[in-house]
Amino acid sequence: MKYYANKWILQRITAAILIPLTFWFVYQCVLLSNYGYDETKAFFVSKINSSLYFILFTAMLLHAKLGCETIVEDYVTSKSIKKITKLTISTIVYIFMVLTTISLIYIVIYE
Amino acid sequence: MSLNRPLSPHLSIYKKVLTSVFSIFHRFTGIGMSIGAILLSIWIILIALGPNYFSMFQLISSYFIFKFFLFLWTLAIFYHLFNGIRYLIWSYGKMMDLGVVYKSGYAVLALSILSTSLVWVFV
Repeated sequence: MKYYANKWILQRITAAILIPLTFWFVYQCVLLSNYGYDETKAFFVSKINSSLYFILFTAMLLHAKLGCETIVEDYVTSKSIKKITKLTISTIVYIFMVLTTISLIYIVIYE
Repeated sequence: MSLNRPLSPHLSIYKKVLTSVFSIFHRFTGIGMSIGAILLSIWIILIALGPNYFSMFQLISSYFIFKFFLFLWTLAIFYHLFNGIRYLIWSYGKMMDLGVVYKSGYAVLALSILSTSLVWVFV
């Protein structure tokens, strides 16, 4: 029971982190979608921007993982399919969390 | 034995009321944006890989359908954000009277449309 209580709390903590960052993020994303390579890269070379992106992405991917797992727990009846789906979600989320972090560090260091 | 029991929430037998529609849309937008988060990760990875790889994103973003999905994404993210704030307040047991629940629901819709418009007007 403790396991699900912790998940419930973590879902809300990540939500609280995302609320202030989202307004900035949505505006920047729509703006950046019109930019070329050099301008986009210049945005991420800034340590403030890439740090905020790192915090936002970690919180966002964790929040997405917890949310998708909750939906799977609610609607998937078969225990084995439930297990496989949850494992797939975790794997995808952690792979992209690591790759995004490496990419952001790489952009800042090798500008 | 427990395997064949229907799971809560029993979507098929619910009468569609505003609160349940809001809840379903919260989940739909959540799933959509989870896929969106992975696509955003790929975008950042492409930037790190260099201009040759980034040109793949530029090719996709030149299509009108990309702008359309980006617009839907902003609408979904604001809806999920404002409706999520409502759920956070409910976690503390506040604002749970039925009348307030309906009013805050309409406020979520109004704020989502307003925020989406502001972003697209100012970009």
